[in-house]
Amino acid sequence: MSDPALAQQWPGQRSMLRSRWVGYLVAVVAIAALPLVFKDTYWRTNLTVCAINVLLAIGLDFILGYAGQLNLGHSAFYGLGAYVSTLLIVKLGIPFWFAFVAGVAFAGVAGILLSVFAVRLRGHYLAIASLGFAVIVHQILLNWISLTQGPLGIYGIAPPPALTIAGFVIADFHNLTALFYLVAGFALLSYILLSQLVRSPIGETLTAIREDEVSAASLGINGAAWKVFAFGVGSAIAGAAGCFYASFVGTLVPDAFFISEAFNILAMVIVGGMGTLIGPVFGAILLTVLPEVLRGFGDLRLVVYGAALTFVVLFMPGGLAQAARVVAGKIGLRRPA
Amino acid sequence: MTTIRAFFVGAAAAGLLAFGSAAQAQDKTIKIGALFPMSGPGSYFGAQDKQGVELALEQLNKAGVNGYKFVVQYEDSSCSPLPATQAAKRLIEQFKPDVIIGEECSDATLAVMPIVEQAKIPFLNAGSSSIKVTQPGNPWTFRIMPNEVMQGINLAENAYKRMNARTAVLLFENTNAGIGNAQVFKENFVKLGGKVLAEIGFGRDVNDFTSIATRVAGLGKVDVIPTYTLEGQGLKITQALAQAGVTKGGGGSAIQIGTIWLPFGFEQKAGKAALGYIRIVQFDPTDTRDVAKGFASAFKAKYNADPTHLNAHAYDQIMLIADVVKRGGKDAQSIRDGLAATKNYSGVTGSVEFDKTNQNIKMDTIHYMETKPDMSWTSLKWN
Amino acid sequence: MTTTIVLQQAINGVVLGSLYVLVALGLTLIYGVLVQINFAHADFVTLGAFAAYFFMHLIGGGYLLSIAVAFAVGAALGWLINASVFTPLRHKSNELLPLIATIGVSVMMQNIMLAWFGPIPYAFETEYSSQVIRFAGIFVSWQNVIIIVVSVLTIALLYAFMKFTFLGKALRAVAQDRETAGLMGINPNHLIMLTFVIASALAGMGGAMLAPVLVLTPFAGTSVIVKAFAIVIIGGFGNVEGTILAGLIVGLIESYTTQFLDPGLIDIVVFALLLLMLAIKPTGLISERREENV
Repeated sequence: MSDPALAQQWPGQRSMLRSRWVGYLVAVVAIAALPLVFKDTYWRTNLTVCAINVLLAIGLDFILGYAGQLNLGHSAFYGLGAYVSTLLIVKLGIPFWFAFVAGVAFAGVAGILLSVFAVRLRGHYLAIASLGFAVIVHQILLNWISLTQGPLGIYGIAPPPALTIAGFVIADFHNLTALFYLVAGFALLSYILLSQLVRSPIGETLTAIREDEVSAASLGINGAAWKVFAFGVGSAIAGAAGCFYASFVGTLVPDAFFISEAFNILAMVIVGGMGTLIGPVFGAILLTVLPEVLRGFGDLRLVVYGAALTFVVLFMPGGLAQAARVVAGKIGLRRPA
Repeated sequence: MTTIRAFFVGAAAAGLLAFGSAAQAQDKTIKIGALFPMSGPGSYFGAQDKQGVELALEQLNKAGVNGYKFVVQYEDSSCSPLPATQAAKRLIEQFKPDVIIGEECSDATLAVMPIVEQAKIPFLNAGSSSIKVTQPGNPWTFRIMPNEVMQGINLAENAYKRMNARTAVLLFENTNAGIGNAQVFKENFVKLGGKVLAEIGFGRDVNDFTSIATRVAGLGKVDVIPTYTLEGQGLKITQALAQAGVTKGGGGSAIQIGTIWLPFGFEQKAGKAALGYIRIVQFDPTDTRDVAKGFASAFKAKYNADPTHLNAHAYDQIMLIADVVKRGGKDAQSIRDGLAATKNYSGVTGSVEFDKTNQNIKMDTIHYMETKPDMSWTSLKWN
Repeated sequence: MTTTIVLQQAINGVVLGSLYVLVALGLTLIYGVLVQINFAHADFVTLGAFAAYFFMHLIGGGYLLSIAVAFAVGAALGWLINASVFTPLRHKSNELLPLIATIGVSVMMQNIMLAWFGPIPYAFETEYSSQVIRFAGIFVSWQNVIIIVVSVLTIALLYAFMKFTFLGKALRAVAQDRETAGLMGINPNHLIMLTFVIASALAGMGGAMLAPVLVLTPFAGTSVIVKAFAIVIIGGFGNVEGTILAGLIVGLIESYTTQFLDPGLIDIVVFALLLLMLAIKPTGLISERREENV
């Protein structure tokens, strides 16, 4: 299946590798340039929201598209990361980056726990179990007022502390541009991590489980363990997004993690193209920007949003990735299949 | 030499032109940002606030004040911390107001306060009751509405002494204002010798209050039921309590009481169930002061309806700002200082004078109303 | 005093439960036949409620008739969504796509209603909600009586339909094994359409009866739908008896949790029960014999 020698000999292999790293370089340049193009606060705010949504989308895509797990409750891990890190900072005075790691770890462990619980369930049962989990998390955040402040909210959350080297400040995160670079940089690193994972033997194992778990088991693959692993990785990334969200918006309320948020993230993955990694990136950007661009439409803008989602699913279920492939094929850029 | 002279004349002319157009471009307006809920469960707040604001603007901009006209930009804060945060940021970034009025809901107001403090823009509130809005002592936040402590102490006293209530059941939404108001009432009512039989808090997503009403019915003799919630759920509660036979409107003996929250018109929607409801309101439609009567008739003439406390307090916010401008306010800092120095200003909802924490301490802003069998109000002169 | 309260809360729970059952039945029927989840189901409930409201307030119709109107509106919507969304997607292998499509439909519907009806809550009053029957310390409003009567009648009719009529049996056949049913000369597509229409009509009717209970805004349905999903699973996906039982249980949980604990804990208790069921008996309270890898 994955004989390194064979893989090495495939003609296009090395140039594909090179083109991928070129792609990363292009991404770095684009990220650096964006705040220079969009100068006003409103759009710079949106850029950071895009970056957070990209993190959420690729994490869910890994669970959904690569491990084939129907996770409808991704908002739970997002919320857990946000609240755990913020409460540690606000109530115990723990420094930001330690709280960040704690938030990510907590979310990851929650994902692992849910996955262990649901490991025997498949299809729609897992979907509803994950939905139920998300509802419970939201309700706990909402009702355990003495711990989380519930609907009263936590305000005035500070951005990450400035990065200094020998007393010299290189990045002050009160500055929106610096904050954007931080989040987008992290998103890019996560993307690279997942991308490498997917192309490694781990990725192939996950594909095998997704396609046919029974046959995979006959090959000695422990499907359960790998599903749990995928869930843990995806939910940890969502936890990171939550940590950034809290320090970016400054106000934390449980309703930001209502289950409708899980559907929004799911939409980004589907519209982008489930099962590809780059698709959800663009899905996230598109579905973040679209409601803002449509603000002029007033109340109708969300109608357009819902319509866009429906039409994509009806007519282009592979999402943007599929659209891109079709266009590329027409121009003749298609790589050998 | 001619060229040099021409150059200087040209420069002088250009300078004069620039100065002149700059003076014209300055436009002498006071920019007022308005953060009101226009969507969500509190959306009726925003709609009515806007009416009050527009009436005030119409009257003021006829002649202006000290040469200034007033311009208002509305942003939807949805009575909730997160949308309020985003609306405030948008408002400040894009409109750059000299002063901001709003919000209605305490949670939203509290969330906006750090933002206006950082931007150094005065924030005038007329609708949030949580003590946290002024207690820490905010130089940039002002409130003309009596806070939950002022109202709660007064309400508990009147319940115990004038209504002879000895038992109470608290019903409140799980927000800063709901929990805060309930706590203040409880502390003071118990201090006087009363007994709180139950405290039932609920989220904004709770719809069916029959079970809650049943629980209240099972608690024995209840004299008063202080209720702190928005209109949507408030209606359901009042009707459920009547159905369960707990309140006067349903054949029982308990009376619902409350602080400034539910608008005029509530009774028409609740029907017979609201009989006997006693609550503090921010605007007394039977107020005989000239400023109140003038406002009521102007409002009726423009909108063909009787004004609610929401219309009234929004009107007061704009008019108070105009008064500050008359006294010399013209930008964020001077408006802030002018507000702080306000003494004995007579508004539609009552008088205004701010203490050190920028809270209006005049008690004539507290008016008591009781709902009569024909669903109209009678003013109880309890304050 | 305490027995009265316990009994009263039981009645409250049964009333609530019947409403949940009406909504959940639709979901379970659709799942049973289509193996699909319709996320827009909540919005059929909401739209049914609004249809009833406007029928009463614009046309001046009576409440009981407005329930029938809501039923019809739900049916029409069901036909529309099935024809435009589910049928084209039926032959794609990805089972997630129709689910996502219904999410898109749900967002569209909610925001169309928002633009059309506005965000301000509508007070849905009927002449029955203020009339209360009292006996032995118990109270029931006529509204609640109507809810129970209509629900029981509807469920009984549906049950009889499924068990005794040819169409009903055909529906169950398609639910059990679509291919074999097809081989027996039953046209699955027509039956699927019929199922959808019935399920959505039930949702619409549920909306008309829920309207006096809910705070009526375009987002009213969402408060019910998540519990409806929980009920469907607890009862057993595709199982009518299970759904009825589970719906009543959830209604009772709601009223008793309010009485003895705190209204805020309702959802936690319900979903803890859900996860418990999934852990012990994922096929639900009453499981049909199904060959399926659960």
